[in-house]
Amino acid sequence: MYELFIHILIPIAIFSFIALFTLFAVYAERKIAGFVQDRLGPMETGKYGSLQTIADILKLLQKEFITPTVADKILFAAAPVVIFSAVFIGFAVMPWAPDFLPANLNTGLFFIMAVISIDAIGILMAGWGSNNKFSLLGSIRAIAQMVSYEIPIGLSLISVVMLTQTMNLNEIVFQQGVLASDPIFFFGFWDVTQIGGLFSWYIFQAPHLIIVYIIFFVATLAECNRAPFDIPEAESELIGGFHTEYGGIRFAFIFLAEYAMMFLVSMLGVILFLGGWNTPLPNIGSFALADWTTGLYWGIFWTISKALFIVGVQMWIRWTLPRFRADQLMNLCWKVLIPIAFVCMAISGVWRIIVMV
Amino acid sequence: MTLEVILFYAFALLAIGSALLVVSLKNLARALFLFFIVLFAMAGLYLFALADFVAITQILIYVGGVLILMIFAFMLSNKELLADLQNTSKQFLSLPNWQAAVLAIGFLAAISYGIYEWQDFTPDWITTNLRNGQVIKPTDNTINEIGYKFITQYVLAFEVISIFLLMVLIGAAHISRREEQA
Repeated sequence: MYELFIHILIPIAIFSFIALFTLFAVYAERKIAGFVQDRLGPMETGKYGSLQTIADILKLLQKEFITPTVADKILFAAAPVVIFSAVFIGFAVMPWAPDFLPANLNTGLFFIMAVISIDAIGILMAGWGSNNKFSLLGSIRAIAQMVSYEIPIGLSLISVVMLTQTMNLNEIVFQQGVLASDPIFFFGFWDVTQIGGLFSWYIFQAPHLIIVYIIFFVATLAECNRAPFDIPEAESELIGGFHTEYGGIRFAFIFLAEYAMMFLVSMLGVILFLGGWNTPLPNIGSFALADWTTGLYWGIFWTISKALFIVGVQMWIRWTLPRFRADQLMNLCWKVLIPIAFVCMAISGVWRIIVMV
Repeated sequence: MTLEVILFYAFALLAIGSALLVVSLKNLARALFLFFIVLFAMAGLYLFALADFVAITQILIYVGGVLILMIFAFMLSNKELLADLQNTSKQFLSLPNWQAAVLAIGFLAAISYGIYEWQDFTPDWITTNLRNGQVIKPTDNTINEIGYKFITQYVLAFEVISIFLLMVLIGAAHISRREEQA
């Protein structure tokens, strides 16, 4: 009975975290947009507009369910559920702190790749079910983009897995800090097993992973359908893309899925490349900063703060760069990211055999 | 009944029920999206066979790749062709319902007979391994074993598949390439 209780409690906790995160992320997004475009952003509701998103969600919750008459009723209603649950399942294998994760799977990384691909089905369902040309065009664009960009993501993940020798996300994070069981070398020559901190993160254990991380970041930006890769929902061409016909709580769920996806991929990047729940502070002589700042609560703090920082970068990029054209998008994926990712994968193999031994 | 047993029957019911719906639905688009549930439930059943790698691969390849390809093929085919597909009862290739039922029952009988026979004559290697405790546990890291097997025992098959996939990739790139202007 106790176990069943835990099994129910954890998803509820993660869901409430995602909902809370989305509320504040939307507010942050508007404020960042305002900052980039030299205006104030929301200012009316609450102090500095801080209650704006809460007012928005209250409005969305009260709205009527509107289904277009010629839409496929079942597909139209099921699509937001599929889209959101695809992203939500992904959180099942994410470690938040040392040994503190919902499911400790040996196939964690592979699981996330598979689950993210379900998202595409949901978007296609929304586009087809709406029976609207803009929605269908938007969803076809989304699929073309997501299927293409899954390849650089997969290749960059393989580059990391070749070094970690495991797909268990919990173990991958353990290998990047003071709690590691194997010796860690900064750039392959300086033993930092006892020092930990910033130096033992994977991007610094093998320098080519910095490039891999950039590839991963760009590709996940496209996977989330965020600007500059937002051609699936390009407002100026397609009104709203695949969610043109959605309103009320269904739209809220699509929106929730988008922000949950942003957090999921940011957190995945943090786990694989930036040390996960490991502290950035190194041990300096008798100042054992790394030992002091490692633990359950510190772990959760570092995971969330690093992931939020990456989400912040995603927002900053969204409001700074213009949208890619469809052919430029494909060129970037197939002619730039994939070849570089292949080279990095080869380097990873050599690095593992020669440097990490 | 433990939670695992309930989940197993839930997945099995989901797989069979949605598979029946897939073949009986008149609306092809809905049938294709329902196929997603069949594949998903199958992946769940693989988990009960402790084949977590196969389960995830099923979702990654079938749901993320093949199913999307099928839906695209459906969207790109023209309406008359689809209408023909939906009224196939008069065509020479289609089976009348009673013949299909006989075939299905025949297959079911063959499989049940196989299972019945198998219970009496379990191969020796299974009984010895069971006695020695050489069985896969749910907590075992099977994925490493799969990796080792791929590059030792099954290396030839693995390499042949990789060359085949490379051929497919080159072929796809060749077909989709724009003809150079003379």
